[in-house]
Amino acid sequence: MSTDLAVVLGIQRFLAQECLALDEKRFRDWLAMFAEDGRYEVPVRVTREKDAEWDLSPKSKIFDDDKRTLEIRVRRLETDFAWAEQPPSRTRHHLSNILVDAAEAPGTYVVRANCLIYRSRGDHPTYDLVSAQRRDLIRASGDGYLFAHRWAAIDQSTVGSRNLSFFI
Amino acid sequence: MKLLETMGDAIKQGRVPARIFNDPEVWELEKAKLFGKVWSFLGHESEIPQPGDYVTRYIADNNIILARDEHGQIKANLNLCRHRGNQICKAEMGNSSHFRCSYHGWVYKNSGELVGVPFLKEGYDGLLDRSKFGLVSIRVDSYEGLIFGTLDPSAPTLEEYLGGFQFYLDIYLKPGPNGVEVYGPPDRWAAETDWKICAENFSGDGYHTPVAHQFGFALGYFPSSGTTHNLGWAVHIPDKGHAIGLGHTPGLPPFVGYPDSLVEHMRQSLSEGQLELFSKTRTAVGTVFPNLSFLIQPFSPIPGEPGVRFCTMRLWHPTGAGKMEMYSWCLVPRDADPEYKERAYQAYTLSFGQAGTFEQDDFENWTNLTRQVGTSLGRTLEFPYQMGMDLTPLTDFPGPGVAVDRYVTENNFRNQWATWLNYVGAE
Repeated sequence: MSTDLAVVLGIQRFLAQECLALDEKRFRDWLAMFAEDGRYEVPVRVTREKDAEWDLSPKSKIFDDDKRTLEIRVRRLETDFAWAEQPPSRTRHHLSNILVDAAEAPGTYVVRANCLIYRSRGDHPTYDLVSAQRRDLIRASGDGYLFAHRWAAIDQSTVGSRNLSFFI
Repeated sequence: MKLLETMGDAIKQGRVPARIFNDPEVWELEKAKLFGKVWSFLGHESEIPQPGDYVTRYIADNNIILARDEHGQIKANLNLCRHRGNQICKAEMGNSSHFRCSYHGWVYKNSGELVGVPFLKEGYDGLLDRSKFGLVSIRVDSYEGLIFGTLDPSAPTLEEYLGGFQFYLDIYLKPGPNGVEVYGPPDRWAAETDWKICAENFSGDGYHTPVAHQFGFALGYFPSSGTTHNLGWAVHIPDKGHAIGLGHTPGLPPFVGYPDSLVEHMRQSLSEGQLELFSKTRTAVGTVFPNLSFLIQPFSPIPGEPGVRFCTMRLWHPTGAGKMEMYSWCLVPRDADPEYKERAYQAYTLSFGQAGTFEQDDFENWTNLTRQVGTSLGRTLEFPYQMGMDLTPLTDFPGPGVAVDRYVTENNFRNQWATWLNYVGAE
């Protein structure tokens, strides 16, 4: 389904702003990009045979959040005791292959993208790379956009990171 | 290994060598003498409910297919073709009556029996005895849905191995006559962390909670405060290594966090002694030696709002010295309504699992600790394990094992590392 060029550019800008907010640790700004009824989900991936019914668990999730629990996560990061992010990780969210398609409800868009997250912690030269497939539901709101649903699936079934103390 | 010769006396005096928590030599010994002997957790029966269902798991570095065969029997076999050693099953879970090797095509039933050999007549002249080349069978046994396997054919029974710890395991496994089920497949992630520090922490490290999870107190998650945090019990099974910490907060309603209907179910499945103890338990954090742990905790995703009790089961699977892979499940009471199960699962993901707010901080600490004890100076040190050395065990405790009247103590850990030494240091 073709979408208006201005919408595509607007959504691309919205996604880039989200990456910037996350990587600059402006978590309140990031939270404000979610609709009040927004959902945030990262399913558990399982290595299965090619013909299996699913390889992303329909039940198990790594993140299973609504805006209220996201706010708790942000509030935690604002304390002086979120040791997993003390000192903070340096993250860089790289997005590519962004596809914007109109969803059924007017003013809503299904937005697919590849997301590669680089994470560096401490003064160690090692780093984590988390590659994920994203499928967001984005809603036009006022003169901007809001996330109604963030869905991201990590490509590894055994995730190569000691924890996910950052957002996908 | 010289270190181990003096470790027994050190533990008795309340000291443990730092080096055991990240050492290639120790890992080699663990593979052979510990994981070659113990009962290792493989999976929960609810992960493979139907004939043909399987999951692949590990005992140390050995990849194992845990399957329910066509007769409904649970079988564990090494995931290795007897012809040239290829991995015959490359999925983590699925359903299959047979496994066919993708190298030369040997076919095995999911029970492990070799049933198909290409060119049996033309190549082997019919002389290969198929009955001698079934998959390597791993001995299994189960308790309340937990399936364990051992590489040691002469190991004691699982019942003997658990040695009374079942009394405490029931808090996690028997919240009703129909027990528990896994909510879904486990989270899996890798960490440069030694499995032992995780197993120790989950044997009742009440000491770390107020600091490692200080944010939780700051956000108002915990009903216990500084003055009451030491209340509860630490219990271990001598010479078996199993241990549990039971946190108690005075004034909390009995069975806090459980819906009334579940408490009714519990009354049908637990003994008087278990009910008495568990009704007073806020946190139950325990480890089946060596590396399977459980945590049950009342938790409100939004602090101050009514909560649930979530239960997590985790396997600290070692993959090398100072390296591990994590399996983390959420267990839910089978008889609970779907809405309660969902809420319990959401509480689990917010607090534990790889993005869980509590889990995040544990793995930060454990990974940094593992790195430090692997250093040239760090590995020469000993750590103090003297907390609670003079405590007198309770004589009127309702459950088996050695129980002391304290939540912040190291009694359980001394028994854990003495048991570990009995295996790893054995001739």
